[in-house]
Amino acid sequence: MKPLWDGLFRKNPVLVLALGLVPAVAVTTTAMNGLALGLLTVAIWLAATIVSKAAAPYVPATARTAVRLLILIVLVVCVYAVLLRRNPSLVASLGIFLPLIAVNDLLLRAGREEQGMKEALLNTLGQGLGFALALLVLGMIREFLGYGSLFGTQILSGRLAPLSLASTVPGGMIILGLVMAVVNLVSKQGGELHE
Amino acid sequence: MSNGLEILAQTVVSGNLILIQGLGLYALTRYTKNVKEAVEAGISVVTSMLVGSVLLWLCGSIIPSSPVPQLGFYLLAALAAAVLAPRILKQDPSAEKMAVDSALVGLLLLLGRDGVTGVQNVWIALGAGVGYLLVLVVMATIRKRLELAPIPKPLQGLPILLITAGLLAAALMGFRF
Repeated sequence: MKPLWDGLFRKNPVLVLALGLVPAVAVTTTAMNGLALGLLTVAIWLAATIVSKAAAPYVPATARTAVRLLILIVLVVCVYAVLLRRNPSLVASLGIFLPLIAVNDLLLRAGREEQGMKEALLNTLGQGLGFALALLVLGMIREFLGYGSLFGTQILSGRLAPLSLASTVPGGMIILGLVMAVVNLVSKQGGELHE
Repeated sequence: MSNGLEILAQTVVSGNLILIQGLGLYALTRYTKNVKEAVEAGISVVTSMLVGSVLLWLCGSIIPSSPVPQLGFYLLAALAAAVLAPRILKQDPSAEKMAVDSALVGLLLLLGRDGVTGVQNVWIALGAGVGYLLVLVVMATIRKRLELAPIPKPLQGLPILLITAGLLAAALMGFRF
């Protein structure tokens, strides 16, 4: 269970390792968006891990990035096709960031090839849930500040003017920076990159 | 977006890939340690953007019109661009990883979303590339000054970098309205 907890907190991909920042900044304008994209990413990532593990013996080392990208593209197009039929409004609100899951740097750069299937899946699940958790937290903060609501339910009723900067990309960068600083403060680490 | 100046203003300032669209943050955080590194990384991504947009221009007539195959087409164009660009620049093939940037794929997806056709693809990609490179260079120079500034420990490194980028982006947003 250790990889699971590591992924969620100590090695949280977004807040500690600083991977997958694009969706963390651009998509988390509401809590629902953050959670939806986070969970979709986990699902696609788990499937991609299984497929690329199965395909690994047949792929030369130089083509690994391209093949991994190809697998992710196929999976993303499938998910897109299903979602477009089931839940078109979600597709509309995630915009280009749904297909961008295919090039999430978290997914592309997480290739530790020498692991066994079970270990790799557990790692992927931990990192993926950590990613989803970070997106959810950012989405909640930004939705509260930007719209005064949480999961679409209005909490502040007009007394405080919402901070509309929070729902834009610049606001997202600033809030992500501040949340990372809080994580550093709690975990008593310096602010340098841990690679 | 009809004339060149308009496209340049739109893509470099009011629609900047990194600061306004939020794409390419991996490059922003990893490749801005000094100006030289920023320029090198920027050039390899810009090349892949140009390759991708030329592909879209050349394949203009065979791009499918229904949404799902169209998405697949744009993603495959991005993959082809990421594989071809390092070979054009004669970099070692592991540079593919650098070229597979969310800025490249995001740009192509934005072109698809806005229904851009023909040679305009290339002009917009050129503008977006200039904007992308510019941000990386600017952030690399700012980062140099940040190293000397008295910053509280929890904010050192990435947090202050993201906050700086956010403030820069907020300033750029002023040009949008």
